[in-house]
Amino acid sequence: MASRRSTKSTARTDTDRPSPYAVELRGVRRTYGRGDAAVHALRGVDLALPRRSFTAVMGPSGSGKSTFLQCAAGLDRPTAGQVVLGGRDITGLSENHLTKLRRSRIGFVFQSFNLLPSLTVQQNVLLPQRLAGVRPDRRRAAELLGRVGLDGHGRRRPGQLSGGQQQRVAIARALITDPEVIFADEPTGALDTGTAREVLGLLRHAVDALGATVVMVTHDPVAASYADRVLFLADGELAGELADPEPTAVADRMVALTASTAGPGRLGAAA
Amino acid sequence: MNGLARASVRFRPASFAGTFIALLFAAAVVTACGTMLQTGITAHVAPVRYAHVPVVAAADPQARITTGHGDNRDTETAPFTDQPRLDTALARTIAAQPGVAAAVPDIAFPVQSAHLPPLTGRNWAAHAIDGANTVRGHAPLAGEVVLDTATARAAGVGTGGTVALTAPGGARTYRVAGLTQEAAPTAYFADTAAATLSGHPGKADAIAVFARPGVPTDRLAGQTRQAVGTHATVRTGDGRGEAEQPQLATAREMLTAIGGSFGGIATATAVFVVMGTVSLAVGQRGREIALLRAVGATPRQIRRTVATEAMLVAPLAGAAGILPGVALARWWFDQLVDKGAVPRGAQLSVGWIPMVVAVGAGLLASLAAGYLAARRPSRARPSQALGEAAVERRRPGVIRTVLGLAATAGGCVLASVAAHQTGDDAASVALGVVFSFMVAVALLGPVVAWLAAIVLGLPLRAGGAPGALAAANTRANARRLASAITPIVLVTAFCGTLLCMQGTLTHTARQQIRDGVVADQVVGSGGAGLPAGTAERAARVPGVDTAVGVLRTGALYRASGSLNSASVLGVSGDPHRLTTVLQPGVRSGSLGDLTGDGRTVAVDSLLAGTTHVKVGSSLTLWLGDGTQVRPRVVAVYERGLGLGELMMPRAAVAGHAASAYDSQVLVHDRAGAHPADVQRALARLDVPGLTVTDRAGYRAQTDKDLELNAWANRVMAIVLGGFAAVAAANTLVMTVLDRRREVALLRLTGTTRRQVLGMLRWEALVVAVSGLVLGGAIAWITLIPIARGTTGGSPYVPPGIVLAIAGGALALSLAATALPARALLSRPAR
Repeated sequence: MASRRSTKSTARTDTDRPSPYAVELRGVRRTYGRGDAAVHALRGVDLALPRRSFTAVMGPSGSGKSTFLQCAAGLDRPTAGQVVLGGRDITGLSENHLTKLRRSRIGFVFQSFNLLPSLTVQQNVLLPQRLAGVRPDRRRAAELLGRVGLDGHGRRRPGQLSGGQQQRVAIARALITDPEVIFADEPTGALDTGTAREVLGLLRHAVDALGATVVMVTHDPVAASYADRVLFLADGELAGELADPEPTAVADRMVALTASTAGPGRLGAAA
Repeated sequence: MNGLARASVRFRPASFAGTFIALLFAAAVVTACGTMLQTGITAHVAPVRYAHVPVVAAADPQARITTGHGDNRDTETAPFTDQPRLDTALARTIAAQPGVAAAVPDIAFPVQSAHLPPLTGRNWAAHAIDGANTVRGHAPLAGEVVLDTATARAAGVGTGGTVALTAPGGARTYRVAGLTQEAAPTAYFADTAAATLSGHPGKADAIAVFARPGVPTDRLAGQTRQAVGTHATVRTGDGRGEAEQPQLATAREMLTAIGGSFGGIATATAVFVVMGTVSLAVGQRGREIALLRAVGATPRQIRRTVATEAMLVAPLAGAAGILPGVALARWWFDQLVDKGAVPRGAQLSVGWIPMVVAVGAGLLASLAAGYLAARRPSRARPSQALGEAAVERRRPGVIRTVLGLAATAGGCVLASVAAHQTGDDAASVALGVVFSFMVAVALLGPVVAWLAAIVLGLPLRAGGAPGALAAANTRANARRLASAITPIVLVTAFCGTLLCMQGTLTHTARQQIRDGVVADQVVGSGGAGLPAGTAERAARVPGVDTAVGVLRTGALYRASGSLNSASVLGVSGDPHRLTTVLQPGVRSGSLGDLTGDGRTVAVDSLLAGTTHVKVGSSLTLWLGDGTQVRPRVVAVYERGLGLGELMMPRAAVAGHAASAYDSQVLVHDRAGAHPADVQRALARLDVPGLTVTDRAGYRAQTDKDLELNAWANRVMAIVLGGFAAVAAANTLVMTVLDRRREVALLRLTGTTRRQVLGMLRWEALVVAVSGLVLGGAIAWITLIPIARGTTGGSPYVPPGIVLAIAGGALALSLAATALPARALLSRPAR
């Protein structure tokens, strides 16, 4: 993967040396609306995620988790601040450049509706390559499908797969371009516990065995425990982190966070 | 990228079914109208009677006027209202040419006899035209007739026997001089007698030209052309069919109008419906597009995918619509032939051009719609797209609003233009007005729908949980609501306008007849009409005070650069006594000033308005046979729509009408006479097919005249309304099926089947009611100026039509919602 990245001249930063971080956020703010109606989803976030790491982002509802993910992944533009991806500032890129960047250097796994229902599993996995106009690498697609435990499912359609299998196809698709980072937005939100565990295991495997970098937004302490590090967001700001998280420790921190932001009267609202 | 589009179409054909149906019906309607247009341009009939005549000279069946000057010169034509004729004297000039063996004037007129089928009366010379004629007996002299064998057998006479015949010029008994082998029932009279009997002496329908041996047709035609100059057109080959059936010119004009004016509107509607359906279909795939954007599809790639899908679906759907379209055109054409609007023998011309246009229009429309609809989701940032897939944007764009307001303004301008149109053109202008408003509704749809949802939401919220849910849904999804409302508006506006326009005309005409016809008795005819002199004979019947013969014909007049046709009533007798049987509501001048020499005319007030004439000024008219006259206006009256837009003395128009029969004789009883006695006495008048009725009989005749027009409008309403109804049902089904997830969620949260159906039913009602109100408003705005232009009053809305349209729209909305909803509910929630 390192060799591929070095061939991209566009990936150079001002230091002209590959950055040690896959993603860096510098003073990122995101405000929706104007005036009195303005919502400050992110109030200045600074962080750096090292390569080959698995980071979970947690926080109560409305803490800015999703906005954080969308800004970091180039799906949305910050109101202020910089997002640096693989050493390259993507804040000022045109929509077309951003699209090409997403296509080649970022992978996505959403909570649901990850796959185009009209395409076969294999075609879904190869979709980013096809959009990029690169010759589809069927061998690699088959290999990735094997790694996510879907050997021989390449000709099926998403409608014929279970929810967990669909998420695994999404992971295979995210991996097909050897991306800088894989962003996962509640990837287990719609799955039962057993299936969720398998999907999380796959993401872990992608980091450990394939050298990927994974950023996952979740509200499930068990899911978060698969990460190397958990970042907590509250009211659009970083509210601490936890290395090598244990589910119970994560849960305790979440309860504390929810209590402090929502107040005792709304405790039950956070889930 | 082609692969993506192909995959979508091939593996999820259901999501393209809506687009496919819209395109199919669009192609069918466009093909049908295009075929009618092509037939109007190319229609011809093969000569039958003139098949053995090499060259025929006939009058130009069209009136021509030139408007503008220099480079802007434009020639406007219109077919004469009756039978165009030329001077019999031309036959002598043609016969003088060296290559001409004989030039025979052809004169035809309807002849009636008490117990015989209708006959065609002809001049004896014309028997040479039908080459197969063999004659037993001798040529008819004065007071003699030659009959075809079949008629003679039916009448039970042979050569030397006598038969009573009635011709427009009068009735008498004839001695049968001979028999012919003619196939059609025919009576040949002596040449001089035929001219008088026809009612138009000195004029012939055509002149058949025979060549001397060895003279080729083109040389003969050339010589004939030289002889007639500009007084006639010379026809050979299939052109002879047109001289034989001059109504072909009228038929062509009508077909061209159907294919051109109506077809233009229909095509625009089709494009409109296709674009609406395609953008709805693309809009429903917002999630898919957002996903594609997130995993790295550029806006251009999205647009190209959508365009490619259109390229895949449109030609197939268009091709599938061609056959139904041709079938529709064939049905329409056959109906027109049956109704006598198109002469028998004319063929529907089915060609590839309308088909290519139909498929091409569908393709271009769906391409354009796909590009436009994909523009916003493809341009939006993926996060926006992912968000928008769930929550729709309410405020329409600036361009959309400006265009929508422009379309509204355009509709209003067109509507005011429509106020100056007369009957024939009003329908097409009306459709243009409706269409402008439709575009406005489509563009401003979300705003309109949002307003409708708010207004109708108030009572809905009182309707329990389903009602409250429906109110919330309609308000939050104004865009979806708009795409369902628009086609309902389309149905209501089109059908409402066309049917109520006709209803207004019929209603006004009837009212004018009720007020204007004051005759005590109406003498009518079950056959071709009443011969000249019937009125005078009726006047001598005991108990009759006044008897006025009325002859119906038509004329062309010029108004604002175009030629229009008007109905003409020829009245016999003393014009001062006219008001005892007809009260046309004279506004200025006096009917008593009408003179029999054809130099005077009375004019309906609306026609006087469009032609800018008043009492004392002159008006150029082309009478039924093409004779141009310029009479002085002596009176302006009000009830022209019911009684006739122009009134002239019978003597001035009879010779120029299709047949010189009176259609009716209106009788005013002497004071104190018993109506039943007068009626019995009148019935004893010896005229074949004579009927005596009260004044309602007048209306029956007028209704017959209005019938074709009414039928034409009804067919247009059915074609356009039906197409719009299919589009409406299609859209509703599409919007309901798209709500699978929402319905599943409702079911999971404990909403019962009944409640879901109830909610959807309320929503369907919101759609139907707002569509009906909007469509009704558009129809009303369109009808007001048109009613003023054609009837001088306000529109009349027949309650039956209102009920039918409202009931139809309600039933359509409810059914198109309930059926797919049941399908959704029968599937397990997922």
